[in-house]
Amino acid sequence: MSYQEKRTIVSIIIGVLILAAYCIYSYGKYQSGDIAPDDMKTWSGIILVFIAIGVISGIVIQIIFHILLSIGIAIQEKVKNDRCDDKEIAKTIDAEMVTDEMDKLIELKSMRVGFITAGIGFVSALLTQILNYSPAVMLNVMFITFSAGSLLHGLTQIYFYKRGITNG
Amino acid sequence: MAKKFQITNNIRKFRFFANEMTQQQLAEKVGASRQTIVAIEAGKYSPSLELAFRIAHAFGAKIEEVFSYEEKEY
Repeated sequence: MSYQEKRTIVSIIIGVLILAAYCIYSYGKYQSGDIAPDDMKTWSGIILVFIAIGVISGIVIQIIFHILLSIGIAIQEKVKNDRCDDKEIAKTIDAEMVTDEMDKLIELKSMRVGFITAGIGFVSALLTQILNYSPAVMLNVMFITFSAGSLLHGLTQIYFYKRGITNG
Repeated sequence: MAKKFQITNNIRKFRFFANEMTQQQLAEKVGASRQTIVAIEAGKYSPSLELAFRIAHAFGAKIEEVFSYEEKEY
């Protein structure tokens, strides 16, 4: 499995955890009656907090993942060749983490899937208002579908790495 | 019957004749990742013209010797 695939899997896991945490937290609050369906200020605040948690944890976990992967490669190189120096190890790490045209093409194609999902989510969120649902439903539909778009983006990347990709 | 064109390659053969060059060595020579070389060799990814030229240059061969555009019938 390549560095890009591993990184994408880590991103998907973070995304799933954040989305699950949001669903459990907001559903619990809603069920207990702590938040009213039309209390836009509180819903917006919760969503903003979870967005911040998602961004910060994403950055921190990616840094930790990068460090752990580098350590793993260094250990592997030492096991393979006991006399290899730091320069060789750094070169192997760089070679492992290189991003080229195939990665960019996969990124572009999978990003399109993510944007389409987010677009469908936005339209669905607007539809909830026409169908007289509360504004909280609109916010939640938007947040959940945008998160789902991000997850689908990652899953599509994994799919393209496994199946291959053409320029057509 | 529908006809489809496919880009095929002889990279494996050229690597063998280049003193059994590894995919990693080829990747480093052409500035791509090993994953991309694996995908190209397996026919799972068609490289850009620039990368195809770089691969051919790495073997000191012409691009048409390394890559070919063939008609496939399904």
